[in-house]
Amino acid sequence: MFVGDRMSKDLITAGPEMTIFDAQKLMVEKGIRHLPVIDGAGKLIGIVSDRDMRDCMPSTLLKKPDYDITLGKIGNHPIGDIMTKNPMAIYAYYTLQDTLLVMQQRKVGALPVIDEEGYLKGILSTRDLLRAFVNIMNIDEPGSLLCIQVKEQRGQMKKIVDIITEENISLGSVLVARFWDKDKRAIFPYLLTNNVINVKKKLLQAGFELIDPMEWYLDQLPKKTA
Amino acid sequence: MKRTGFVYDDRYLLHDTGGYHPESPERLKAIHQRLSASGVLEKLTLIEADRANQRWIETVHNIHYIMRFDEACISGLSEFEHPDNAICRETCDIAFLAVGGVLKAIDLIMKGEIDNAFCAVRPPGHHAEVDKPMGFCYFNNVAIAARYVQKQYGIERVAIIDFDVHHGNGTQHIFDRDASVFYYSIHEHPSFAYPGTGREFEVGIGEGNGYTVNSPVLPGRGDDEYRRLIMQDLVPAVKKFKPEFIILSAGFDAHESDLMSGTSLSTDGYDFVSEVIMNLVNRFTGGRVVSVLEGGYNLDVLPILVENHIKMLAAIK
Repeated sequence: MFVGDRMSKDLITAGPEMTIFDAQKLMVEKGIRHLPVIDGAGKLIGIVSDRDMRDCMPSTLLKKPDYDITLGKIGNHPIGDIMTKNPMAIYAYYTLQDTLLVMQQRKVGALPVIDEEGYLKGILSTRDLLRAFVNIMNIDEPGSLLCIQVKEQRGQMKKIVDIITEENISLGSVLVARFWDKDKRAIFPYLLTNNVINVKKKLLQAGFELIDPMEWYLDQLPKKTA
Repeated sequence: MKRTGFVYDDRYLLHDTGGYHPESPERLKAIHQRLSASGVLEKLTLIEADRANQRWIETVHNIHYIMRFDEACISGLSEFEHPDNAICRETCDIAFLAVGGVLKAIDLIMKGEIDNAFCAVRPPGHHAEVDKPMGFCYFNNVAIAARYVQKQYGIERVAIIDFDVHHGNGTQHIFDRDASVFYYSIHEHPSFAYPGTGREFEVGIGEGNGYTVNSPVLPGRGDDEYRRLIMQDLVPAVKKFKPEFIILSAGFDAHESDLMSGTSLSTDGYDFVSEVIMNLVNRFTGGRVVSVLEGGYNLDVLPILVENHIKMLAAIK
């Protein structure tokens, strides 16, 4: 659940004096979209994204000779000139949830991870985060999703979890949609089993409603007007 | 009428899943009872199973996996690598017999003693991977059958049609790089149902690209959707592939009254599925088809659906 467990520690970095030519080659070779820039001691001083790189390149609409001439003027500049200086960075003790929120709010594709002295320790990309959440939610394991609609009142989750536990079923994850129909919530337990008959029977007996995805899906479709 | 074989063996009941498991011996008992009460059974050629030679199982499964499975049973464990996969001491032997029953049916078809066959076997198989048991399955009966047809009888193109409500992940993965085995599955959408594979864009890999076709069905949908998908996805693909032998993963858990799934295929809807498949069989394989039981857990409807399916195989009105 912590950034330290999920960040890439195999760091590919550059110094600020690396040329744009070399940096671009490095990023393509290693298949990375974010290149952290560090000083001689290993402290984070900037980051170059593939967008920074594209922004400084000549337009592909230029004719070949013009393109090459312009490229020649650009390629030997140091990346220190195009990097984002003092980029936003996080610490290894950040939770993945918090990082998800930061990435969504700040619209960044990767966050460098530093220690308290500012030394670069890792980098967490949206891909790392996606992989982490797939893994945390256990959805890469075979299983079945239940869709349950509940009244908005205390103790509903307990009843559901009790039924799942009684059936000796291992729970991959549970997502709760707090806003569903009026006064209703929707709970989506992901069960690591094929065997959902008895748990479904018990949920129905306990008065829960199983959501038929087609019902709400059809409600969402634009209605034909006469 | 056709000469239809019926693979059944009392020993299939010995795979004991512990009394509170939907994949129970009662399933086969109910099927057998219904067939004998209705008089359909006496019109079929009864086939008792022989134990499969392990070398055929090894055409699909890793030998270490087979040994692990055998050891888990011998040592008296109650599950094999996941709580879904309930076992008893006899399970491994019975799984050998399930494969053996299917292979024997193929032998009789190839010798011309019967036209086709339904195999009422347990345990089921289509979730079993090369080296992993999954979803009540240990040996992939249909995958081994496809390899057997190819290696023993030199048949090149085999189609597997899987209408169990769950996607046959094992079968798909075993053949997804293989252009000689076509795999079609129609099943409840992976967003909602076990095992979470079988999306429209899973179409085979490398040389096998185009030889896997998946038709996911959203929960709540039934006959119309099955009709549409089978005509749109299955029929043209089989016409193009021109199989010489067809194997069915016959699961009856897509029925509207089977709580294992959210799809609502009716009894008539199942007839439609069987009928289209038999039309394809008659047109392409000279009638050669072996149908192998997978899921189906509502003990009231399972026997009816199996009987109707067998009537389609045997062309009994």
